[in-house]
Amino acid sequence: MDLSDPVLDHLRQVAGLPDLTGTRYELEGEIGRGGMGVVYAARDRQLDRRVALKVLDVALAGEAQLIARLEHPAVVPIYETGTLPDGRPFYAMKLVKGARLDRYVAGLPSLPERLRVIWRVGEILAFAHSHRIVHRDIKPQNIMVGEFGEVYVMDWGVEAVAGTPAFRAPDARLDQRSDIYALGALLQFLLPASAPPALCAIALKAMSPDPAARYPDAPALLADLERFEQGLAVQAWSEPLWHRVRRFGSRNAVLLWLLAAYTLVKSLLFFLRNH
Amino acid sequence: MDKDTAIGGSHDHFPSTQASLLEAAAAGLPGEALDRVIALYWKPVYRFIRLKFHKDNEDAKDLTQGFFAAALQRDFIARFDPAKASFRTYLRMAVERFAASQHAAAHRQKRGGDIEFEPLEEQTIATESAEHAFEREWQRQLFSLALDDLRAHCEESGKQIQFLVFQAYDLEDDERPSYAELAARHGIAETSVTNYLAWARRRLREFVTERLRGTTSGAGELREEMRRLWT
Repeated sequence: MDLSDPVLDHLRQVAGLPDLTGTRYELEGEIGRGGMGVVYAARDRQLDRRVALKVLDVALAGEAQLIARLEHPAVVPIYETGTLPDGRPFYAMKLVKGARLDRYVAGLPSLPERLRVIWRVGEILAFAHSHRIVHRDIKPQNIMVGEFGEVYVMDWGVEAVAGTPAFRAPDARLDQRSDIYALGALLQFLLPASAPPALCAIALKAMSPDPAARYPDAPALLADLERFEQGLAVQAWSEPLWHRVRRFGSRNAVLLWLLAAYTLVKSLLFFLRNH
Repeated sequence: MDKDTAIGGSHDHFPSTQASLLEAAAAGLPGEALDRVIALYWKPVYRFIRLKFHKDNEDAKDLTQGFFAAALQRDFIARFDPAKASFRTYLRMAVERFAASQHAAAHRQKRGGDIEFEPLEEQTIATESAEHAFEREWQRQLFSLALDDLRAHCEESGKQIQFLVFQAYDLEDDERPSYAELAARHGIAETSVTNYLAWARRRLREFVTERLRGTTSGAGELREEMRRLWT
């Protein structure tokens, strides 16, 4: 049978769509494609609500069980798992309204807003690592920022994932320290060109080629981030003296102004008393 | 360019579960595995040779035939290492090497040892389009074989009407009929048209998967090829 190009493309499209016959779902359209499968928007006819339906490639059904172990506000909850009539495993989950992080950044959020995303991602990584779960593919395309500012981390670590080049650690075997590398790369991705050097240093420390030179875990990275936000010196950067003085000045501005005012008044009184 | 060949077109219906290439080779059935490879790759190889080496129909056919004959003699499948590349890439590169050496030998004979070089830019364009054509032809042949399987399956299981509905809708080159038209044409309910199409597409997908399973090294490569096919 000789197939024309339009017929071939049509067949690739229709035979690739998930067959939802006999399920409670009605297909609406494709949302996106990841390393593990395709995500569709669908309507749950029984509960009359929209859901995200992730249809996985064959023999990669472990992700749903893995996510089910991660009950956390930054992990999209799973409603149901199953197998389609065509044999492909799927799971239905909450349909998150919002933007992928790479698109969110295009809206030029402020530096504190960007750092808040890193905080949320760092927190869920710390939580996952405490459950011995490694993500393996932290990147902007796997992070969603919801319409109320909530942050979700998607595509949880299935063994088959080998990371994405710009965010993948050069480690032979991906483990928790590889996630720290990716978190550093994510921070670097989020920083604007005018970012303070201390923040860049935090990102670079997390992205050290030697895993032992990185932060030992996500809380350690977040602690350094917190030091930055409080105007303290960060572990990742030995700052020059002038920078330390300037940081001291900006952190203690009120005290310095009071001190200057006190000195001025004292000097004035001294001058008036002697003249 | 003259008309393409029709060789490698029609093939028999495949059994439902295929062993992977490596399983077949390990079970001492490399010939059977090579038959599957030839059924799927004859046309892509032929198209690739025609475009890449600017061969006419007859020369391209001879070279394609020569390549598969040489592959049969040289333990082609057993030498495939899935850690290095997909089988499709391995095969294309082997074709390229084989055809290049044959092409060079033919030119040496014609020109008394002179080697003719194509301008680099032209060569690059030709390479890209030949590789694209190879992949496209692979997709086309894969679906053609799976459609043969589907048709045979429908005939064997008395589901000719399902195939007719599917053929009239999904294989239509011009304007597709409406579901209502199809229902009236075959004297069935419109919902049956929806169900028949869903069934046929699902079975087609299964046959595509089976054909791929029989021409890949195992689960990992099969998954990659499936992803590539549906993307």
